[in-house]
Amino acid sequence: MAKNKKERARRSTASVATQRMLIGGLPQEEKEDLQQSPMQMVAKSFFKDKIAVTGMVCFLFIFICCIVLPFFFPIDKYYQDVTQANVAPGFSMLSVPKALQGNAEMLSVGSTFSVGIDKEGNVYEWGTFPTAKLKNIPSSSETGKLTQISAGLDHVLAVNEKGQVFTWGNDRMGLASVPMELRTGGEKIKQILAGYQISLALTEDGTMYNWGSDYLLNIMYPEGVQGNIEKFAAATNIVMVLTKDGKVVPLTNKSSAYTTIPEEIQGKVVDLALTDESAAALTEDGKVYTWGNNIKNTLTVPEEIQGQVASIAGGRYHFSVILKDGSIVSWGDDTHGQASAPNLGSDKAVQLDAGYYATYAITEKGTVKAWGLKGYLMGTDAFGRDVFRRLLIGGRMTMTVGAIAVIISTVIGITIGGISGYKGGKIDNLLMRLAEVVSSIPFLPFCIILSSILGNSITELQRIMLIMCILGLLSWPGIARLVRGSVLAEREQEFVTAAKALGVKEFGIIFRHILPNIITVIIVNATLDFATCMLTESSLSFIGFGVSEPNATWGNMLTGAQNGQVIENYWWRWVFPALVLGICTISINCIGDGLREAIDPKSKER
Amino acid sequence: MGKGQYLLKRLLYIVFVFFIISVLMFVIYKMMPGDPVEMMLGDSKTSMKPEAYQALYNQTAEMLNLDKPLPVQYVTWMGNMLTGNFGYSIQYKKPVSQIIAAPMKNTVMLNMLTMVVVFSIAIPLGIVTAVRKNGIFDKSVQVLTIVGYSIPSFIISLLMIFVFAVKIPIFPISGVKTAGLNATGIQAALDVAWHMALPVLVMSVSGIGGITRYVRAAMIDVLRMDYIKTARAKGLREKVVIYVHAFRNALIPIVTITTWWIIGLFGGSVVIESVFLWPGLGKMLIDGLMQRDFSLVLTIQMFYVILSLVGNVLMDIAYTLVDPRVRLEN
Repeated sequence: MAKNKKERARRSTASVATQRMLIGGLPQEEKEDLQQSPMQMVAKSFFKDKIAVTGMVCFLFIFICCIVLPFFFPIDKYYQDVTQANVAPGFSMLSVPKALQGNAEMLSVGSTFSVGIDKEGNVYEWGTFPTAKLKNIPSSSETGKLTQISAGLDHVLAVNEKGQVFTWGNDRMGLASVPMELRTGGEKIKQILAGYQISLALTEDGTMYNWGSDYLLNIMYPEGVQGNIEKFAAATNIVMVLTKDGKVVPLTNKSSAYTTIPEEIQGKVVDLALTDESAAALTEDGKVYTWGNNIKNTLTVPEEIQGQVASIAGGRYHFSVILKDGSIVSWGDDTHGQASAPNLGSDKAVQLDAGYYATYAITEKGTVKAWGLKGYLMGTDAFGRDVFRRLLIGGRMTMTVGAIAVIISTVIGITIGGISGYKGGKIDNLLMRLAEVVSSIPFLPFCIILSSILGNSITELQRIMLIMCILGLLSWPGIARLVRGSVLAEREQEFVTAAKALGVKEFGIIFRHILPNIITVIIVNATLDFATCMLTESSLSFIGFGVSEPNATWGNMLTGAQNGQVIENYWWRWVFPALVLGICTISINCIGDGLREAIDPKSKER
Repeated sequence: MGKGQYLLKRLLYIVFVFFIISVLMFVIYKMMPGDPVEMMLGDSKTSMKPEAYQALYNQTAEMLNLDKPLPVQYVTWMGNMLTGNFGYSIQYKKPVSQIIAAPMKNTVMLNMLTMVVVFSIAIPLGIVTAVRKNGIFDKSVQVLTIVGYSIPSFIISLLMIFVFAVKIPIFPISGVKTAGLNATGIQAALDVAWHMALPVLVMSVSGIGGITRYVRAAMIDVLRMDYIKTARAKGLREKVVIYVHAFRNALIPIVTITTWWIIGLFGGSVVIESVFLWPGLGKMLIDGLMQRDFSLVLTIQMFYVILSLVGNVLMDIAYTLVDPRVRLEN
C-alpha cells in the first residue's frame, strides 16, 4: 500500500490528467482503491506501464496527424510533375541571399532552384539543385558583367553586356551548343529563357534563336514572324510570341487549347504569359485576357484588377501581375502559396519573374519579395509528389484499411466464438473445424491471389474494400478461439444460471451477459490484430497486390525503393514511410502488450 | 485411446480439411479469367482452319471433362492435381510440373536455413530471459524482440540493403548465384550461401522476435509450477531443472506456435523473395500473376496448402511425442 502511494506520487501530472480525462476519475484517489470497477483497475495499471503509455502517445500523435493535417495540406492524388521529381527535403528554395537584397538586377525561378544577378553582374544560386553541374558557374573574368539570367529545369542561361550567351548546368540534349552568333556576341539580346530542356534567345531586331531538345517542344516559325518578334513566353510544350504589331502567334502548327486566341485582342497585346495549361495576354487598356484549360483556376482573373494591369508573368499553374499602382496580385493554384502575393505596403514592384511554383518581385527600393514553393518537408518521390502529404493520406488509408479489417474479423470472431462456446456439442465442433480450415489457408499467398483475380475489373474504391474484406475474412479464427475459450469458462458461472432462470434468450445471455465480462480480452486481441492487419496491408501494397496507385498507403510508397540506387541517393523516399510505419506498429504492439498485462493479473509476475 | 488411433483420427480430419480447401481452390480455378482450352491449344487458333479448330477444341474440352457437370469437373481437376498433371504454363511454354522443381528447391533451402538460424538463437534466448526475468538483459531483449516482430519484413530488408549492400558492400542484394561463375562443390555452395545471407538475415529478425517471446512466456508459466519447486527441493542441479523438467513441459505451446510460424514463414517469403529477386516459389507466384499464368499460380498455391496441412500433421505427431496426455484425451 505504501509503495503504491509512492508510485502514484511519482507519476507525472500529465499522465494523471490523461487518466482522469479517459476514465473520468475525480480527485478522490485516496479512498478509491476499494471501490474501483475492473475497468478502472485496468486503466490504472495500464497507465503505470511506461512503455505502453509511450506507445500510446506515439500512436495517438501519428493518428491525429494523419486525420487532421490532410485538411491543411491537401493533395491531388492524380497530380504528378516530373520537374519536381526526387527533390531532397529542405526549405531553401526561396531563401534569397542577403547580398541580393537591395541590389538585385534580375532573378529567375528554376524547377527547384533559383538564380539571380546583382547590379554588378555577380551570379547567385540557391535552392535544391537537381544536378551538381549547376554549381559550375563560369568565372566573372570569363563572362564579364552579366545583365540577364534565366533558370530552367536543370540548366541556366545568362547573357552579358556584350550580348554573349553563356549556359551551364545540364549540357546534354544539345543544350550546350549555343549558336555561334550568340557565342561571339555583338547583337543586342532582348530576352533569354531557359525552359524544359530547351533554350531560347531573342535579339533586339526581333530574331529568335532556339536550341536544345525538341522532344517535347517542336518550334515552327510561321511566315513573317521571324524578325518581327517583340517578346516571347514558353511553357513545357509550347512557345508563343508577341509580334511588334501586337499580335499573339503560337510557334506550332498543331492546334490545341493554347491556339484558341481570342480574335478581339489581336493587334492590341502588350504583354504575354503562359502557364502549363493556359495563356494570358495583357492589352493596351490594362485588361487581362485568358484562354486555355481552366485547370487550377488559372483562367479566373480577379475582376477588380481589370484595366489596371501593367505587366504579367506566369508560372506552372499561376499568374502574377504588377498593377499600375505598383502592387502585385497572383491567382491560380495556391497549393504552395503561389497565389498568395504579399502586400508591399508603400513600396512598388518594378519587375516580376514567375516560374514553376514561385514568383519573385523586385521593388523600387531594390528589395526582393518571394512567394510560392519554399521546398518540401520530406522531399518528393519519382513522380514529383510531395512525400509528406502522401505520408499523411497514406497513413489515413493504412489505418482505415487496418481498422475496418479488424472490425470485420472481430465481429465474425465474436459471433462464431460466442455461439460455438455457448452452444457446445455439434455446432461447436462444426464451427471450430471451420475456423481450423480458414486458419490452414496460407494467408499471404491467398490474399495475393484473391486480390489479383478479383481485383482487376473493379474501381479503386472497390479494390480497397476488397482488401479490407479479404483481410477481415481470413483473420477471424484467432479471436473466435479466444472468445470460445472465455465463453466456455464464463457460461458455468452463477450469473448465467440466474439469467437463464429469468428467461433471458440465449443470444441475450451470450451477447448481453457474457460478452461484457470478456470484452477486455477481445480489446487486447483486436489491438494486436490491428497491428498485424496494418502490416499485412502494407506488405500486400508493397508487392503491388494491395491498395494501388494513385492512392497512397505506407506500403505502396515504398514500392520501388528496394533498389540500391534509390536507397542510397534518394533516402527520403524510403526513410520517412518506413520510419512512420515502424513506429506505428511498434506502438500498437506496445499498447496491446501493456493492456494484456494490465488485464491479466497473472502476467504481472512475468 | 492409443497414440496410433489419435493420429489416425487427426489424419482423417486433415483429409477433410484438404477436401474443403481443394473445393475453394477449384472455385478460384473456375473464377480465373481466360478459357483453359484455348490456353492449352495456344497458337493453333490462328494456324488452323476454323472448323478443324472447333473440332479440336471440342475434343480437348471433352478430354478435360469441361462439358460435364461441375462435380465431375472437380473430380477430374483434383485427379490431375494429385497425379502431378498441373497443366501448362503459358509463360514458360512447358508443363508446370517441369518448371516447378528448381524454384521449390530454392524456397525450401531459404526457409530451412532461416528456421535453423531462428531456432538456434530464439530458443536459448527465450530460456535465458525466462530464467533471469526482469533483469537488465531480459528487459533489453524484450524491447528488441518487440521491435523485431513489429517492423514489417520489407522495411527490415530496406535497412539491411542500406547497411550491408550500400554502406558496407559485403553482400549481394539479388539473385541466387554470381552470374557467370563456373564453380562446383564447396565453392558453389559458398557462393549460394553468400547470396542467401541477406534474405535469411531479414527473415530471421522477425522470426527471432516472435519465437523468443513465446518461448519466454511458456517457460515462465512452467517455472511457476509446483513440480519445479519439487525438483529444486530434491536437490537437482539448476541446469537439469531448467532443460529437462521445465523446457520439456514448455514445449507444447512452443510446438503450436512454431508450426504456425513455419507455415507463415513460407507464405511470408513471397515478399522477401520479390525484394531480393530470389528465384523461388514466391517470386514465381508474383511473376505468374503478373503474366496471368494461372496454371502455375494454382500449382504454387497448392504447394502452400499442402505444406500447411503437412505442418498440421507434423504438429500432431510432435504433440504425441512431447505430451503423453494427448493419447488419453478424447
